[in-house]
Amino acid sequence: MSEKIIVIENLVKRFPVGEGEFTALSDINLSFEKGEFSGIVGPSGSGKTTLLNIIGSLDSPTEGSCTVMGKRISDLSHKQSAQLRNMHIGFIFQVYNLLPVYTVFENVEFALLLQKRSATARKKAVMEALEWVGLEKMADKKPSKLSGGEGQRVAIARAMVKRPELVLADEPTANLDAKNAHAILQTMKKLNEELKTTFLFSTHDEKVMAYLNRLIHLEDGKVAQDEWVTAKSTR
Amino acid sequence: MIRFIFKAILRDKNRSVLPVTVVAIGVFLTIALSGYLSGMLGDMIDQTARFQTGHVKVMSRAYAENIDQMPNDLALMDIEALHEELNRDFPNYTWVNRINFGGIIDAPNENEQSKGQGAAMGMAIELFSKTSGETERLNLENSLVDGRLPQKSGEVLIGYEFAEKLGAKVGDELTFMGSTMYGSMAFASFEISGTVRFGVMAMDKGTVIIDFSDAQRILDMEDATGEIMGFRKEEVFMQDEVIEMRENFNAKYANDSDEFAPIMKTLGEQNSMGSYLDLVDSVSAMFVIIFVLVMSIVLWNTGLIGGLRRYQEFGIRLALGEEKGHIYRTMIFEAVIIGIIGSVIGTALGIIVTLLMQKYGIDISGMMKDATMMMPSTLRSKFSPQLLYIGFIPGLFAMVIGNMLSGIGIYKRETATLFKELEV
Repeated sequence: MSEKIIVIENLVKRFPVGEGEFTALSDINLSFEKGEFSGIVGPSGSGKTTLLNIIGSLDSPTEGSCTVMGKRISDLSHKQSAQLRNMHIGFIFQVYNLLPVYTVFENVEFALLLQKRSATARKKAVMEALEWVGLEKMADKKPSKLSGGEGQRVAIARAMVKRPELVLADEPTANLDAKNAHAILQTMKKLNEELKTTFLFSTHDEKVMAYLNRLIHLEDGKVAQDEWVTAKSTR
Repeated sequence: MIRFIFKAILRDKNRSVLPVTVVAIGVFLTIALSGYLSGMLGDMIDQTARFQTGHVKVMSRAYAENIDQMPNDLALMDIEALHEELNRDFPNYTWVNRINFGGIIDAPNENEQSKGQGAAMGMAIELFSKTSGETERLNLENSLVDGRLPQKSGEVLIGYEFAEKLGAKVGDELTFMGSTMYGSMAFASFEISGTVRFGVMAMDKGTVIIDFSDAQRILDMEDATGEIMGFRKEEVFMQDEVIEMRENFNAKYANDSDEFAPIMKTLGEQNSMGSYLDLVDSVSAMFVIIFVLVMSIVLWNTGLIGGLRRYQEFGIRLALGEEKGHIYRTMIFEAVIIGIIGSVIGTALGIIVTLLMQKYGIDISGMMKDATMMMPSTLRSKFSPQLLYIGFIPGLFAMVIGNMLSGIGIYKRETATLFKELEV
């Protein structure tokens, strides 16, 4: 692990509140290397999601800089931000956010459509991604027919199908029972190890933390602790 | 991507059914009401032209000034020469003689005593002429309730309601009492050859129709007529053409001070039809404008509701790396597809209903029993080629504009703000 794919320097994020401002993140200095399986942890309102949104180029810092894949987020146009997300970043959400009108296959395929890949290449990549998460037989099912765990596995396949360098997962196990949460985390860990994809979680779930190699504790928008740990759980 | 959009439209009933229904209903209403409006207004114009005004009418100046009194004492004379002139100058028109006259009709019983009497509104037309086209123009064959059309001198057609009022039936004798062109008493007997119903209560209650030559004989109008009506050979009223005809014809007699000199009037210059024609134009235009405005507002709201419902989807697509502009463009593309589908359905339904209404109409004779105005007792729609686009284009544009307006919110917002609002 030597290639830095995220570099955050002196990052501050403020939001206007009424006539004043609310500081969501303050003086953040972090870097993440390729292949990390890390988590930003902390209670609700600590700034986890805001930081994840900035890294995902959905938002930009008020001060300081955030550089992802060598691209400074605050310098990117809307189009360039979209392109960065499209080509290099996968998102996994707390609620799976699958498009209900499309099948499992089409939901995963959608990310590739934006990359204008050929139908043959899309089919191959989608089936491979579904195999990673063990849902190749559910390809024609609609999201409404899936269980919570299956839905989140489709979301993982959708995030992974384009082989991104970075996956941002915002509370991915919050809506899952313990058994499904472990299954999901094992899948992500496996992909992290096999594909060398960097995973960055936002979580306050102990089950997730048990799988992580690095925990960055946020408190009131500041990094309270940045610790490397040995993953306790590998189930 | 287009395939994906089509799939979503087909599968997501909320995305397609509601807007398609709204567009289809709006387009249907526009076409059906527009067809009905032009049918009703057009019927009144057509009916007035056929029975009262012609596309143009030639009269004596004095007759024209007193036309409400049916002043046959002011009739046009020397009509043979006038017909030659009209046929020569305006060969695209059929010129027919008409005499309107009033009088009393008496229906005698078997003892030659009166069993019924009534004021008659007489109309003499060229019934026996093969070229006048009057029986077809007045739709006499189809208007027959009993009997047949007159085939020889001395036969009369009578309004069905009038015959009932007189207690007369086909084959009965009627006596006409009136005055000649020169003011002396006129008496004549006729045999009823048939009863007719025009669907215009004012006519059905008092009309008698005889041949023009009979009227000339009874009313002492040799080589004279009350009116010469001109009908375009295709029976289609052409406003600009008749105005030019009138100007050319009247210019020839401009220096003639004789009050019996002929004067030509267009349909628009008679029976207050001018303002009516203007009204038809402005009502139709107003109708389309109001529709486009109302539909735009309705579809804007439909687009807004649809957009709100799909905020989550837009958020996911943003996260997957789709540009806001692309999302906006696909929304518009969907709107075009839905607008086309809705407009096609609405147009098809509107045309079907218009054609059905044109064929069968709505019978309002029950409400017209005591009406004296010239108005059809069956309200019909009228199909015209403009109905094919009069609803389609506004339907499509309203849908697209509605979605463009509702989508601007997505396009203008900062990605982060939008993403948070999307509740992803």
